[in-house]
Amino acid sequence: MSEWVIETRNLTKEFRRAQFKIPALKNADLHVQKGEFVALMGPSGSGKSTLLHLIAAMDRPTGGEVFVMGQDVGKLSEGAVARWRNAHIGFVFQSFNLIPVLTALENVELPLKLTKLGKSKRIEHAKKALDVVGLSDRLHHAPRQLSGGQEQRVAIARAIVTDPDVILADEPTGNLDSGSAQDVLTLLGRLNKEFGKTIVMVTHDPHAARTASRIRYLDKGELLPEGQVPEDWALTIPAKE
Amino acid sequence: MSRHLSLIFKNSLRNKRRSVLTILSIAVSLCLLGVLMALYHSFFHSEAPEEQALRLIVRNRVSLANPLPLSYKQRIAGVNGVKDVMVFQWFGGTYKDARDPANFFARFAVDPEKLSTNFPEYKMSEDQWKAFLSEQTACIVGRKTAARHNMRPGMRVVLAGDIFPVKLQLTVRGIYDADRDNENMFFHFKYLNESLSQGQMDHVGTFSVRLERVEDAGMVAKAIDDMFRNAPLQTKTETEKAFELSFIAFLGNVKAFLLLICGAVTFTILLVAGNTMAMSVRERVREVGILKTLGYTPGAVMGLLMGESVAMSILGGGIGLGLAYGLCAVLRESPSMFTDMSRITVPPPVALIAMGVAAAIGILSCVVPAYNASRRPIVEALRFTD
Ligand SMILES: Nc1ncnc2c1ncn2[C@@H]1O[C@H](COP(=O)(O)OP(=O)(O)OP(=O)(O)O)[C@@H](O)[C@H]1O
Ligand SMILES: [Mg+2]
Repeated sequence: MSEWVIETRNLTKEFRRAQFKIPALKNADLHVQKGEFVALMGPSGSGKSTLLHLIAAMDRPTGGEVFVMGQDVGKLSEGAVARWRNAHIGFVFQSFNLIPVLTALENVELPLKLTKLGKSKRIEHAKKALDVVGLSDRLHHAPRQLSGGQEQRVAIARAIVTDPDVILADEPTGNLDSGSAQDVLTLLGRLNKEFGKTIVMVTHDPHAARTASRIRYLDKGELLPEGQVPEDWALTIPAKE
Repeated sequence: MSRHLSLIFKNSLRNKRRSVLTILSIAVSLCLLGVLMALYHSFFHSEAPEEQALRLIVRNRVSLANPLPLSYKQRIAGVNGVKDVMVFQWFGGTYKDARDPANFFARFAVDPEKLSTNFPEYKMSEDQWKAFLSEQTACIVGRKTAARHNMRPGMRVVLAGDIFPVKLQLTVRGIYDADRDNENMFFHFKYLNESLSQGQMDHVGTFSVRLERVEDAGMVAKAIDDMFRNAPLQTKTETEKAFELSFIAFLGNVKAFLLLICGAVTFTILLVAGNTMAMSVRERVREVGILKTLGYTPGAVMGLLMGESVAMSILGGGIGLGLAYGLCAVLRESPSMFTDMSRITVPPPVALIAMGVAAAIGILSCVVPAYNASRRPIVEALRFTD
């Protein structure tokens, strides 16, 4: 057992396109402690999403290992990995990805339907999660009746409702205006500080990255050493708070 | 599974127009299938009622168009196991305007004094039986036909012959009731016979034989046919039920025909449903990726997709069966050559088979796209755009 919440060893992913191999991630060693808020940055195509997907076991590595809470994720079967993800990972997408036919409350309840919880408990937890994201007054709204910022907050409620160990967010503010983006960042910051959630967030926005406690950069599939920034990275390094 | 029903339900209403059209097309096909199977059932699977099982029909071996001599009646009556023999002559003919199918009903020339023995299921008051017997031009009609043509005792009915070159002037003297087959008209064979020319006289198309015991049917039939084996005109004797079936066989191989249409209907609806399901699953690929991200196993995803398809098929099947019941009720009321049609309904086994077919369509139409979608890697599913 390791003390890391997330630990990757030589994590590698190659995609195959016809006879070409596209190296999306090369020998990445990432370590994240409990309660950390890590931002992943880097140019487009540098492998940020790939790394996040591998941590969430949404994709299988072609080399190396991923440990989450000491569990070698690669060793789990297809069914077991689904159940494991349900219990330990909350995932937030750039494009919200709510189920359009379900209300906010039903969307948040969805992951709980895979647990042993009864209907009333599920509703209770889902309402609590929506309360945390400040949407108690939108329980019965359909996604298309919500603003982008509200949709993303519902998605965050859905990600935290199972009380996962890790929240993974792939450009959660990428589709939002600056005001809504700020709400989402504040919310993630609160989840990290108040609720002690471990968060890994991919972002292109230096301002967003500043919410995190630590920033790691990727470049052409390589996870750069702590503190190192990709060459010709035009943007200023955001200062830590 | 039950906790996922709301998602299944809401998903199937997602594209309302397509869902409604799919459900309706399944409904219409299953209605057709239900009626066809009901027909098949009433023709080939329904047991002959007890009274009918006690009757044989004797006819010319060559064909129905060739009559037998009236004198055969006495000889048949002498066969062991025969309780009674009655002339049972199909008259055909027309009533009023033959072009209106509503004016069709079966007319038979019979031995009136034997009708109540051979057909005890025909119920009529004592007075009416008496009136029927005491007048050579009397006739009786079934309740349904009487109601349809507003026939009452005392009313005159003119039948113009087609097989027979005669015009019969009959008077209704009775209205009989029967559970099945209450659409016929019966009149005195004697009246018909005496209206015919010398050459046509004393010939009979079919005799109706009443047995002592049901078990004797085979033996008696054989005995009758054996008796006339060396006669100039040979006979063919079979149960009344078998006779009715041979009647519909005039239409060709009805059995194979019905089965063929049933198969074609099922296959067509399978293709239609399969196409719709493939389309709706395709639209759902991204969502499958989301569900799997939330922790849904491929099996659970497959269950959701199949559940949706099966729910729609069963709903369509239910509506279709309802329509089939309605259609059967209409068929029962409409005039028909075949006694079996007057009792047609969708019996429970047929309803069960139809619902089974509906469920199978739901499963088969969806299993391949659902399987493929559920096995698709999450990352690929999330990137999927239609
Ligand atoms: N399913 C796939 N098949 C083939 N190549 C892929 C696939 N997914 C990612 N890649 C490739 O892997 C590399 C890394 O992709 P990834 O999505 O991780 O980048 P990213 O850092 O998230 O980029 P962005 O900032 O644009 O989201 C890219 O070159 C991409 O084209
Ligand atoms: Mg990305």
